Amino acid sequence: MSSDPRQRPDGATLTMSGFAGATASQAALDPDAGLWGLAYFERFGVNEALLRAAFDRALMHGADWAELFFEHRVSNSLGLEDGAVNRAYTSVSLGVGVRVVKGDQTGYAYTEELSKERVCEAAATAAAVANGPSRSGPTAFQVQKHLDLYQVKVPLSTVGVAQKMPILSRIDALAGAADPRVTKVRVGYADSYGAILVVDSDGHLSFDRQPMSRLTVHCTAEQNGQRESNGCNLAGREGFEFFTDARVERIAKDAVERTLFLFDAETAPAGEMPVVLAAGSAGILLHEAIGHGMEADFNRKGVSVYSDKLNQVIAPKDVTIVDDGTRPFDRGAVNVDDEGNVGQRTTLVEDGVLRTYMHDRISALHYGVAPTGNGRRESFRHPPVPRMRNTYMLPGPRDPQEIIASVKRGVYAETFTNGQVMIGAGDFTFYIKTGRLIEDGKLTRPIKDTNIIGNGPQCLERTDMVGNDFAFDDGGWTCGKDGQSVPVSLGMPTVRVSAITVGGVNKG
Amino acid sequence: MTEQDLLDLARQAAALSKRHGADDAKIVVGRSRGVEVEWRDGRLERVQERTRRSLSAELFVDGRYSASSTNDLRPEALDRFFAEAVAMTRLLEPDPYRGLPDPKRYEGRAQVDLDLFDPTQAKVDTPSRLEMSRHLEELVRANAGDLPIVSVTSGVSDDAGQSARVHTNGFEGVASGTSFSRSVQITVKEPDGRRPMGYSYTVRRHAADLDPAEKLAREAIARTAAQLGAGKLPTGRYTIVVDRRAVGRLLGAFLAPLAGSSLQQKRSLWDGKLGERIASPLLTLIDEPHVPRGLGSALWDGDGFATRRRPLLEEGVLRTYLIDDYYARKMAVEPTSAATHNFSWAYGDRDLTALVGEVGEGVYLDRFLGGNSNETTGEISMGCAGRVIRNGLLAEPFAEANVAGNFGEIWRQLAAVGGDPEPNGSARAPTCVFEGIQISGV
Repeated sequence: MSSDPRQRPDGATLTMSGFAGATASQAALDPDAGLWGLAYFERFGVNEALLRAAFDRALMHGADWAELFFEHRVSNSLGLEDGAVNRAYTSVSLGVGVRVVKGDQTGYAYTEELSKERVCEAAATAAAVANGPSRSGPTAFQVQKHLDLYQVKVPLSTVGVAQKMPILSRIDALAGAADPRVTKVRVGYADSYGAILVVDSDGHLSFDRQPMSRLTVHCTAEQNGQRESNGCNLAGREGFEFFTDARVERIAKDAVERTLFLFDAETAPAGEMPVVLAAGSAGILLHEAIGHGMEADFNRKGVSVYSDKLNQVIAPKDVTIVDDGTRPFDRGAVNVDDEGNVGQRTTLVEDGVLRTYMHDRISALHYGVAPTGNGRRESFRHPPVPRMRNTYMLPGPRDPQEIIASVKRGVYAETFTNGQVMIGAGDFTFYIKTGRLIEDGKLTRPIKDTNIIGNGPQCLERTDMVGNDFAFDDGGWTCGKDGQSVPVSLGMPTVRVSAITVGGVNKG
Repeated sequence: MTEQDLLDLARQAAALSKRHGADDAKIVVGRSRGVEVEWRDGRLERVQERTRRSLSAELFVDGRYSASSTNDLRPEALDRFFAEAVAMTRLLEPDPYRGLPDPKRYEGRAQVDLDLFDPTQAKVDTPSRLEMSRHLEELVRANAGDLPIVSVTSGVSDDAGQSARVHTNGFEGVASGTSFSRSVQITVKEPDGRRPMGYSYTVRRHAADLDPAEKLAREAIARTAAQLGAGKLPTGRYTIVVDRRAVGRLLGAFLAPLAGSSLQQKRSLWDGKLGERIASPLLTLIDEPHVPRGLGSALWDGDGFATRRRPLLEEGVLRTYLIDDYYARKMAVEPTSAATHNFSWAYGDRDLTALVGEVGEGVYLDRFLGGNSNETTGEISMGCAGRVIRNGLLAEPFAEANVAGNFGEIWRQLAAVGGDPEPNGSARAPTCVFEGIQISGV
């Protein structure tokens, strides 16, 4: 029982979290890896008769439509601290959420017991959102098409702790040997696997298996009595094959370098100045500055700064932004979203013009458009809402060197930890962990721990140079909204924002 | 399920873990049920029921350690859960510092009724929740004057939960609690297209203690109206008056390096500072675990230690770290408990208005946005918004600003503490005034 009931969040957040408890398993918790669709959930007592009974209850007061979301998830993690892989965490989660919708109105209930009696109880609770005469549910179920973006080579359910432990030890050894100043290394390994089954009252049935693999490394280093700590992480929708030698070596190297970098770094200066964002994880700017504001739930309610901006010019011509759930093995990829809509690539801003919002089923019906595959949820305990997947800007015409050279005095931002936005006012922040000053067109002193604050629409207008380079970031980003966390990813070319407030400190 | 049922289940699970080969175990079984309604612009937006249950087990097997949880409580599923968890734990590397706490630390549990459970929660029905939400919106709209409202969302939510904890070396405890909350948020439209949102909320253990709807409506209207026409602030150093609702962000960054994990892993700014003055003499912070109806109240912590009132800081002097049983063993020190509950401060006697009047010239920070801090070195940088203080009064609003510095230095620059603890939160923070703080703007 948590002691402090949650408070209303100030806005949507994005974090590059450390390794927060999730996972470690041994083989064969999932003995039927070949099972697909309804068959996967049959061992938990789910069958067509249960579906029919549940829909009868869900539609007992009419309602426009209803949906059942079954989920089974096994999460495992291992931790290395002070040289030993000596802690493991595992969790098993199973349940079904029932959603009943009338117009924009939602009734939602879930149960963690998949008996017909309990599922029908949850359905009756959710049904109370409507008040009309009952109607009948589906008589037959049709399997929907979906993508196949994350075929697994080595299923995580078949890999035991013994096979995973050497990965952590190797990273520890590499990081520890990389530099004598490194005093502490912590390594986190996490994986999760399982499946979702979405069935709606039209009889559409969608199924997806959702693997996720992740590594996290934190280092502390000491130099002349000064200490610094930093970390880094990598994630993807892959099976055990995710943990390649290349990734293991890279994360150890990056974690050490990013920690040692801080010894010579200072907080940036304070005030408004040009900021150049390095290609890659600077996609956090898009996520915060415009991404959340383009989620259609905020717009149908009229509470987004982008509410009246469809088909208007909101950015310079070189700016094209997509939200893409179709990149293979990507942390934000979805074969189907959590409402059963097929995964898609959605162009949000095309040559500076706002083309579409990101929709879930409710908002798509509200606007009379097709769903965009953005209906996502943390688990069966939550109703889906429009969420981002992988949000990135397409490359533009400029040479990245030219972009840096164009700045007389400003900041070059390279790595980030987290961001946040106020959807309506449009004010957003993102936190620079490492970067450099730009002085007279050149990268100079290292900087660290500096927050940036800007206003989304204004910042987009000021995105006046877009590089011809591009990088995806494969860090383990997690987006928070409405008390729900979902995995997302980011990408960005090098860009310049001509003026934005840098939250540093001025000396003297 | 009654408290006794939960306790029985926890005992059975503890026995089951031993049958499968665990030397020791810490078991927690919990269940909760709650309902939340959201009302928007004259109609129901969403009604959501949540019924959770879970069993979590920390296992100690052959000098090795793991923690697992499941919500599948069917007997055959639990049997397999423990069999697999024990087998997995055996494969790990040993950790000589893992083990159950010394049972003497379980002793001395306070004999007080924390009064955390309000039985009226079971009688609340959804029509009454909807009526409360509707009423909140109506109050806002009736009293908003010419506020350019785009949308009003109100929410009503209540939860009840029980949990039982059993350790195989004798600890047993059962606790129940309820929580109730109400909130309302108002979105308005500015001529330039921005749509700022202001909100208010109340959260309590007992329904009767909730702030009245009239107060919530008044506060949300005032907080929204105060954002209209927000400009930018010139970059500079200011005396800042931090709203009691926002103080928690600054306090959280300051306290994070007190954790045993942070100290043992050598990434704590406060390493070696015990007994030293690390903040202004105006900062006294007492952890009070036994406040009746307190949002953070508890009789034991995650190690089963009996909770006690204790000072964290007295007149700015650091009195204790927050070290759990495991990290205490690793550090070869006495554990002090990692948990904090409700804080009490050395409160002053002035409220926000009086403090603003005293400050004369400066800025009032109403809220923080995003940002982060570095627990190893103390750097902190967070977005902020609020109002300019001029001639001792709150003047024009500003947004898109950022406060930065070192959180150690910031708390050393604490210049005044209000007498107005925030009742809707366990930090019970008062309005705080800090001098000479860097703010970035234009």
